[in-house]
Amino acid sequence: MSLSVSPGEVVTVVGPSGVGKTTLLRLLALFRPPDEGTISWDGDDAWALSDRERLAVRRRVATVFQEPSLFNASVERNAEYGLRVRRPWSDRIRDAISGAIGVSDASRRVRDALETVGLESLRDQNALSLSGGEAQRVAFARALAVEPDVLLLDEPSSNLDPRNTAVLEDAIADARDRGVGVVVATHDMNQAERISDRVAVLLDGTIIETGPPEQVFESPADDRTRRFVTGELVY
Amino acid sequence: MFPLTATLPDASWTYFFSIVAVSLYVSGLAVAVSTLVSLPVALGIGFSEFPGKRAVTAVINTGMGFPSVVVGLLVLLVVSNQGPLGDLDLAFTPEAMVLSQFVLATPVITSITLSAVEGVGDDVRDAAFGLGGTDADVALVVIKEARYGIVTAVLAGFGRAISEVGSILIVGGNIVYSDGTSYTRTLTTAITVEARQGRYEAGLVLGAVLLVLVLGVNWLGSWIRSRGRGRASGGGRRSP
Amino acid sequence: MAIQRRRFLRGAGVAAALGLAGCVSSNPLSQSDESGDETESQQSPEIGDDELTLATTTSTYDTGLLDELHPPFEEAFGITVKTLAKGTGASIRTAEDGDADVILVHARGAEDEFLQEGYGVNRRDVMFNDFVVAGSEDDPAGIEGMESATDAFAAIANSGETFVSRGDDSGTNKKELAVWDESGVEPGGEWYQEVGKGMGDTLVQTNQIGGYTIADRGTYLSMRDEIDLAILVQGPLEGGPTILKNPYGVIPVNPEVHGNANYEAAMAYVGFLTSPRGQDIIDSYTENGSQLFFPSALGEEANFGQYVPQGYSAEQADSLSKRDRQFLYWVDTHVSNDY
Repeated sequence: MSLSVSPGEVVTVVGPSGVGKTTLLRLLALFRPPDEGTISWDGDDAWALSDRERLAVRRRVATVFQEPSLFNASVERNAEYGLRVRRPWSDRIRDAISGAIGVSDASRRVRDALETVGLESLRDQNALSLSGGEAQRVAFARALAVEPDVLLLDEPSSNLDPRNTAVLEDAIADARDRGVGVVVATHDMNQAERISDRVAVLLDGTIIETGPPEQVFESPADDRTRRFVTGELVY
Repeated sequence: MFPLTATLPDASWTYFFSIVAVSLYVSGLAVAVSTLVSLPVALGIGFSEFPGKRAVTAVINTGMGFPSVVVGLLVLLVVSNQGPLGDLDLAFTPEAMVLSQFVLATPVITSITLSAVEGVGDDVRDAAFGLGGTDADVALVVIKEARYGIVTAVLAGFGRAISEVGSILIVGGNIVYSDGTSYTRTLTTAITVEARQGRYEAGLVLGAVLLVLVLGVNWLGSWIRSRGRGRASGGGRRSP
Repeated sequence: MAIQRRRFLRGAGVAAALGLAGCVSSNPLSQSDESGDETESQQSPEIGDDELTLATTTSTYDTGLLDELHPPFEEAFGITVKTLAKGTGASIRTAEDGDADVILVHARGAEDEFLQEGYGVNRRDVMFNDFVVAGSEDDPAGIEGMESATDAFAAIANSGETFVSRGDDSGTNKKELAVWDESGVEPGGEWYQEVGKGMGDTLVQTNQIGGYTIADRGTYLSMRDEIDLAILVQGPLEGGPTILKNPYGVIPVNPEVHGNANYEAAMAYVGFLTSPRGQDIIDSYTENGSQLFFPSALGEEANFGQYVPQGYSAEQADSLSKRDRQFLYWVDTHVSNDY
């Protein structure tokens, strides 16, 4: 099977729960090497790179999982986490001692990211005290703040109400417009139809069909896809 | 402090403060070293999956209940002039007491830290990794997320050390210089001296001081924890 | 300066009456004494500036005698004494392991073994007192006034009244077992309780249980205020049987066996304890008006027995051929071949 994403493109991976969407995202995020096949970045096999080079690749990606998994700290500290780990240890130790919040450029990115999800007013609040929707948006802002080349989102709106979902989908579109390649794993066909440039259907452990949303949802090439999108195929 | 002057037969303030100082020095240093050892061990065990993990965890948990007099005897055999560390002349020194309390406190701190570390969900580690964190960053996140559990672990270790008497009596020898300053006598071993001589009141006064110390340290711990929680709800800049 | 612990105990009542202020005001005095002592030992580093580890019995420690003896010794020699208060058995073991420099104990049999095995050299008698059989005043076993300790022990055993044993291989414990041995009674059963504690603890526990025990007179006297036990069988100091005698000996650790032992400091300690000054301190040390220990190091009569294990045969040592062999052994081991 094969799945690719280009800059400024939103690819959704659809499929029933438990089909392996999360596993696929974790492979793309280089959490662990694939049992077979390759994960390529700009044509290079990521697992053939040195640890250092692979870290550099990983740092062009930001991943948001289904659970917000925020740290027990302020919203702002959460949002700047990705930026913090990219700074040299000497700076981080100095910041930790002086209590400083990083460089001004980082602060700007953090502010922008929080603004994008509409939460800049909550930045001093502890992240664990947020509602589910707010938390998910902070998790998203945390990924946006590092200004990644590729954004991997696993069921980003599974815990969200329609209003929060709309905010999130706008933010995804916003990122795409800025040239970010976005991969979204979702079981929500309507969402896939709304936000995708391309849709990949993951069924029976492999991607059986890839194409623009109109094509996949209106006239699927594979019969299993048709049965899945019409709800006939129940898993 | 009033009844102390009245009932402590050995009371000179020098005597009293020096045994408190020895108690704090020995237990404090032992717990500090234990923590430095326990943290990486707990993180290592908590993060990894290996065949003997359950057995290792069971051994550590058993170590929490290891009888202190047995530890004292073993440490004495090790540091005694005839033992493997005999050349270091550690028998009946505060350093030998630090060693035995280190042995006693480490399983306690490791075990509680381990459960705190394991209480930090995989998802939080994944989030840190997925945002570009290295293994070291992920470990740091886990430590920070588990910080209140780790504080509890350190306090529990300190509580075990400061109130322990069996091992330090054996390896320290309960020595007081003839000018009345303690060399290896702690609050607990001083209590045994008072009890041995039937001066229960003086022993109780020392026991009360010990209790106040332990309570104070625990109060400090719960203050740190509540301060953390206060910040958790009230905001403020606390690093993850 | 010596915070003389016992003296302080006496002062404690006064301190309690005067309250905090009284105690604080008494403090600068002891502190200035202390600093004076420190500067003095600093002024004479050439003498020693040394540490001596003494393993001794709880009876010498808990009576407060050592608090009287050590400050003048430390002042005279610039040696700091670290005292380990244990039972005689534990003290000897500590010395055998090379973790002490000198022992001050009271079990001649164990001391002799210590000497014979080569761990100790230059034993000296230091002082003595005696053991007493103590028990509650109502004396259910009816041993009061008995002139034989063995009869008293047998009576306790027959009555089934509780007897509390140190059970810690201390000098007192060894003495107790020797008395049982003489009495022909095998101690054991519910009435015989081994507590495994020091003398003070054992007296306190006996007092609470209401049983009998054997104690050295020094510890008994020093604790008379805390317990209600009476002396039911006197030791030889008050006309009792000599089996209850209690002599103390001091033995430095053999530096040939344990090279790290501070032999010079140990010999200085032996010298001080057995000097007229040390003996005088022992002689004048009282508790509740009673003398606790009697000096025995000095006398006009020769007392060779203190240097060697008991029963060491003079004839055997005198044997010429043996002396010759020993001399030749010395020549062999100490004089180089190309001398």
